Amino acid sequence: MRILCTLFACGLLVACQGSIVGPPQQPPDNGGTPSRSQFSCQASAVPAELPLRRLSSTQYRNMLTDLVTASLPADASEVLLAVRSSLDRIPRDQRVTPAGTTHGGFTRMDQTLQQAFVDATYQVAVDVGRQLTLSSTRLGTLMGACATDASTANDAACLEGFVRRFGQRALRRPVPEEEVAAFTAVAGSTPVDAAAVADVVAMVLTSPYFLYHVEHGATASPDDSRLDAYELASRLSFHFWQTGPDEALLNAAASGTLNTEEGYAQQVRRVFEDPRTAATLDGFFNEWWRLHELDRLDARLGDPLFDAFVGADRPGPELHARMVREVLDMTRHVTSRGDPVAALLTNRKSFARTEDLARLYSMSAWNGEGEPPDFTDARRVGLLTRPALLASGSANTRPIMKGFRIRSALLCDTVPPPPDNAAANNPINLSPTSTTREVVEAITQQPGTACAGCHNTLLNPMGFATENFDALGRARLHQVLFAADGQRLGERPVDTRSVPQVSPGDLRESQGAGEVTRLIAESGRFESCLARQYFRFTFGRMEDTATDGCALAALESAAQSGASLADVLRLAALRPEFRRRTFR
Amino acid sequence: MKTPMLNRRQVLRGLGGFSLALPLLPSLLTPSEARAQAAAPPKRFIQFCTDHGGVWGANMFPADPSAQTREYAGRTIRRGPLSLTVQSGRARLSPVLSADASVLTSGLVAKMNVLRGVDIPFYIAHHTGGHLGNYARNDGNGGDGTHVSQFPRRTIDQVMAWSPSFYSSLSGVRERALILGERISYGYSNPQSPQDGSDIQVQGATATSSRQLFDKLFPEPPGGGARLPIVDRVFESYQRLRNSNRRLSTEDRRRLDEHMQRVSELQRRLTTVTSCGSVTRPSQDNEAITWDPGYPFQPDSHAHYFQLYNDVLVMALLCGVSRIAVVKVDPTFSTFTGDWHQDVAHRATDTDGVAQATLTAAHQRFFETVMVDLARKLDVDDGTGRTLLDNSLLVWSQESGNRTHDSQSIPLITFGGVGGFLATGQYVDYRNLSRVFSTGEAERRWPGLTWNQWLGTVLQAMGLQRPEYEAADVAGYGVKYSNVQWAQLTTAEAYPEVIWSVAGEVLPWLKA
Repeated sequence: MRILCTLFACGLLVACQGSIVGPPQQPPDNGGTPSRSQFSCQASAVPAELPLRRLSSTQYRNMLTDLVTASLPADASEVLLAVRSSLDRIPRDQRVTPAGTTHGGFTRMDQTLQQAFVDATYQVAVDVGRQLTLSSTRLGTLMGACATDASTANDAACLEGFVRRFGQRALRRPVPEEEVAAFTAVAGSTPVDAAAVADVVAMVLTSPYFLYHVEHGATASPDDSRLDAYELASRLSFHFWQTGPDEALLNAAASGTLNTEEGYAQQVRRVFEDPRTAATLDGFFNEWWRLHELDRLDARLGDPLFDAFVGADRPGPELHARMVREVLDMTRHVTSRGDPVAALLTNRKSFARTEDLARLYSMSAWNGEGEPPDFTDARRVGLLTRPALLASGSANTRPIMKGFRIRSALLCDTVPPPPDNAAANNPINLSPTSTTREVVEAITQQPGTACAGCHNTLLNPMGFATENFDALGRARLHQVLFAADGQRLGERPVDTRSVPQVSPGDLRESQGAGEVTRLIAESGRFESCLARQYFRFTFGRMEDTATDGCALAALESAAQSGASLADVLRLAALRPEFRRRTFR
Repeated sequence: MKTPMLNRRQVLRGLGGFSLALPLLPSLLTPSEARAQAAAPPKRFIQFCTDHGGVWGANMFPADPSAQTREYAGRTIRRGPLSLTVQSGRARLSPVLSADASVLTSGLVAKMNVLRGVDIPFYIAHHTGGHLGNYARNDGNGGDGTHVSQFPRRTIDQVMAWSPSFYSSLSGVRERALILGERISYGYSNPQSPQDGSDIQVQGATATSSRQLFDKLFPEPPGGGARLPIVDRVFESYQRLRNSNRRLSTEDRRRLDEHMQRVSELQRRLTTVTSCGSVTRPSQDNEAITWDPGYPFQPDSHAHYFQLYNDVLVMALLCGVSRIAVVKVDPTFSTFTGDWHQDVAHRATDTDGVAQATLTAAHQRFFETVMVDLARKLDVDDGTGRTLLDNSLLVWSQESGNRTHDSQSIPLITFGGVGGFLATGQYVDYRNLSRVFSTGEAERRWPGLTWNQWLGTVLQAMGLQRPEYEAADVAGYGVKYSNVQWAQLTTAEAYPEVIWSVAGEVLPWLKA
């Protein structure tokens, strides 16, 4: 026997205190058009301040890589390799989860300031400075011929010119004269040698304007909190690219076109179309849908029961990553085609590029070019039926965790934690005589227990809807029952009927993932959840529905009205909230 | 080109620059305190924190002690000498506390303590912060987990790291605390200027491999003609921004203060001179061990991984480049290939005994190959007439007691006498055996004394005074909270007020 999951096993509390957010909803065919919006805009509300954000570890690495590449194109790889051991000491950001849960959240929200961050960024700066000036060839490339010629009379001008060029790229804005003086002063007196330049480089790379998003605003007026053009260029590039602005953005800032509505919108479109944006959005969907929680699928190979369960579809060490990639390829497809947000739920194309994953779909692999093939099995209805959201790494499906993911990640519902003694009660094991659903029901839906409160309503019904897929994501009509030694004991039909209560008060019964997907799409709650999650990703903090209602409502409204996913994702950057900050 | 030099740099250059140990932060000690500290051998603290737990008391602890009893906090507590039995070359205190007789010697056991009956007196699941006192770092499961998550605390390693009572001098100290592993250590975002507790944040790992740790602690000295570090200029650049007329919010300035404090700490380290002579860079890095795809299921590799850390820790502690180390232990020390938490830890009470046997064997391996290994390596003369181990406290704690997520009788295995502060060589049992939580459990549990009292004991052993770490309404260290559920005892019966009234004391029988 194997434990399925004891996370939500039965306890003794009395009632489920979770919440399905949003207005109560009757089925649309009962008359009237129910309100689907969860957010409202109070124009006078002042959003919270997120003070002096530091670069995330990803942003820091990207920024440094771009800077080195631009400074020493031919030797960039060598330089980056030489500083790798220092770079590896930059602490990885941790996901910051909403209060009361260890699930969800985004690494972008991690604003802890570790000693290790200061130590490592200092060491990287020193090492990069040394590497960029390691030879006269590198010094010449970095600074120009003035750095290596025989004359020392031009050293000061040479250094100042370098500080202005290198500084602008590193600090994402022109370097004011007083800061040029401060940087060049570090070099000491002329003649300027390589070690002195290395120190100047290190100073730039440890500057608060390099390590932080320093935003002073366009003016000093307390009534005007708009960002200046360079600050806005940085916000835009770091949001979509995870790195600093390119030449075109800096030029737009310098020329003033970024301050115009048309000029800014043009840059938003250009930045969004850049391939770096797709990579950044991969990170968004990966964390929003918690795809990173999918563990390796080959850990149980060698266990007789697991071996019997997987049969010829033995998972390799890369399969879980391929499953995740397949989902992210779908999001890229929906984004690039201009499909609406709901298509994330309903897209029915296979993006399986390898045979091991395609076999789980009973299809051939897609070669990555041209139109991906449609699912051939009608039960594959979209996101909920992709293996990345079904696989468990064991021989047993995890209906409770599947339901939990749909509730808390895709619908942004609040699900209370399991009771204190959940783990102390009967584990949910594979049974030689019952389906997983039957075992889960027997343990978590006992009348009169607190378990039943949450499991009956919030969790199990959502998870049961995909029980016609096994723990590798293969479609099935029956659940095969195994003994611990792998012997096949028989099979029982799977049951996908449930009352998922997608919206409060919606007691319609559904059967299978297709009907649950339809109910979710009808509810508009997936789009509301997108608005909430994308707000967190964009602004790097939890939302306050009272003071952030305008941005949230705008994103929600666009998503629910059928706007393309791409338009909704761009919209955040076009909002006034994105283009200003709060000073307190 | 004329370069304006700063006064402090001139001082540094004039006095020898990089080779000079010049504390840049104001001393927090009075002269008499400094003299007293100088006379006493430095104390060191090392703790290994193992995930999961779930080892039955019968496998973890020696036979019940009976040599001495005493009434304390409404119960009869007991103690006896640690009695080592040797058979077929194996020395044994208990099934877990056993090792080859050549390494687990009576001499080493005389420097150990085994403590039973120290509880986190409420339900706490999947916690990593509780070992060292930040109960808030749990998964928020259940009412208790959610409640205590509102009360983040610094972990005791950070309390010590920033205490002038522990570090009366930072001369030669490169790292105040070595943190190996994630989410075990918590401290203020600005330790020099703490706020109200809302600024408690995780302290990231000092290093992620043994050689990286070595390189950080024993950096290559700068070559001849090297320029001075620019760290003071870096500090000034933040100061310049902070004090500028440019528009910043109050919170922006607070963030700059935090950064500047960190730069100050970096500056202190960069001017630190070590006094340990030559040390040899390890030829092997423990990170390389983990690259083997089979590593998660190779207990010998797990042992080797931590032994390589042990080597660097001993060098660090001997040289005095740090005096605190906390280590998170998450490898299983087992060949088990499934989900350890669900399939082993949570099934440790299964009647077939399979999971319990797996747990016991894994913990025994860890004890022998890591804890005993480090204790022996520390048991060398540190130049004070005692061994490094004698002047240290080496602790092994586990996430849970005898049932995963229950926190009664969390095993505490210690080595070292902290310079004579602790009595050693004893097995002490603080459980109240007159009150059992439930008679229906596979292995019974009884209420003990509080984890707060243990943490306070450690801090006092390390030279801190109670006013330095105790909150106004909490004796010992931590939060005052208890809750008993699903038991035949009420909370008041299991954890009466009297145990909180003694929580500020050193645990009985531990003071030498």
